[in-house]
Amino acid sequence: MVIGYKPGTTADRRRPHFIRTPEEADQLVLDSACITNLSGYLVSEGLLSDEKAVAIFLKPDGIRSINILAAEAQLNIDQILILGFDINDNQVTALEGEKVEEFATLIESIKEQAPDALKNPLLEKIEGMTPKERFTFWQKEFSRCIKCYACRQACPMCYCRRCIVDCNQPQWVNTSSHTLGNFEWNIVRAFHLSGRCVGCGNCDRACPVNIPLRLINAKMAQEVLGSFDHFAGMSHTQEPVLASFKKDDSETFIL
Amino acid sequence: MNELFEPEIVAFVCTYCTYAGADLAGTSRLKYAPNVRIVRLPCTGRISPMFILKALQKGADGILISGCHPGDCHFTHGNYHARRRWMVFRALLEFTGIPSERVKYSWISAAEGGKFADLMNSITEDIRKLGPFDQYKALIKETEAPATF
Repeated sequence: MVIGYKPGTTADRRRPHFIRTPEEADQLVLDSACITNLSGYLVSEGLLSDEKAVAIFLKPDGIRSINILAAEAQLNIDQILILGFDINDNQVTALEGEKVEEFATLIESIKEQAPDALKNPLLEKIEGMTPKERFTFWQKEFSRCIKCYACRQACPMCYCRRCIVDCNQPQWVNTSSHTLGNFEWNIVRAFHLSGRCVGCGNCDRACPVNIPLRLINAKMAQEVLGSFDHFAGMSHTQEPVLASFKKDDSETFIL
Repeated sequence: MNELFEPEIVAFVCTYCTYAGADLAGTSRLKYAPNVRIVRLPCTGRISPMFILKALQKGADGILISGCHPGDCHFTHGNYHARRRWMVFRALLEFTGIPSERVKYSWISAAEGGKFADLMNSITEDIRKLGPFDQYKALIKETEAPATF
């Protein structure tokens, strides 16, 4: 199977295309509108269970997602063939390599640029606020949330069979779309993605009420990079940051 | 109304160190603020960030999370895992506007009954100064109000 893009409902949209026969390949498109990270489809139930190879169109962020999924034992990298591409100034360029290991130097260079790439004027503005102002800011943002969980469905990292918000014994998060439950849901979502998010922006684009989810994810990425020098998706053997520890981790905040 | 604000503080503690420390404070007849409700758990590694959110959801003004000193964990490394998790979760809470003064972390061993009592007193005083967590309580109230269309 090949997973790629085909034209969507409007001229600037692309939708995923799953190719099983050579004829279907005619519909494939690849242009600067192909920004969705497709790697999440690989972990959909049954797709990889026949152990046949799957080729997938991926940008560098998608390649990092594959590394994380492999590191978390969700897929076998031998089964995945990468058709890498990148978009710069609306120009699509092909990336060299087929196997995920071949992109290691590329990912290494992305990590080096990460401290600058993660910077964002709005992020810095929020950091400069008092806790009260920050709370008000997020309260306003989260009050729009309708708990459609589109952010979860769109995220390649949200593959749990049973999400914590779907559990009702005990019910951790309020299911009604009151701001309290929305607050809790968004905190939990951001926490579960800490050190795993590659910043592909799938959640941000999927949100029907435009909550700046990417901001929280970027903040958490900065945090794990600064505290643990962890950059998500470096290799398929990278230890997940919250499932590992060092004895000399900083603990200045502990009384 | 000049009544002193009595904060509600929830302490999530591990059973092998901090809970034993609390026990020692009790058997040593040390007096400490009665505002603290202790929740005893097998290990700090068992303290899910969901517990913190749940405590806030139920109206806590302050939260303490406490366990064994590094190297003392009954399960050898539960507290190391917990420490990383807290560090990340703490930054997240801070970023979303839940002040870090309300969520405290500590290491208290089974021998530190005095430290436990002192910490409970100082945290209660600190939270009392901060006052109730009004912003969060407004959200709780909104949840309880009848639906409006």
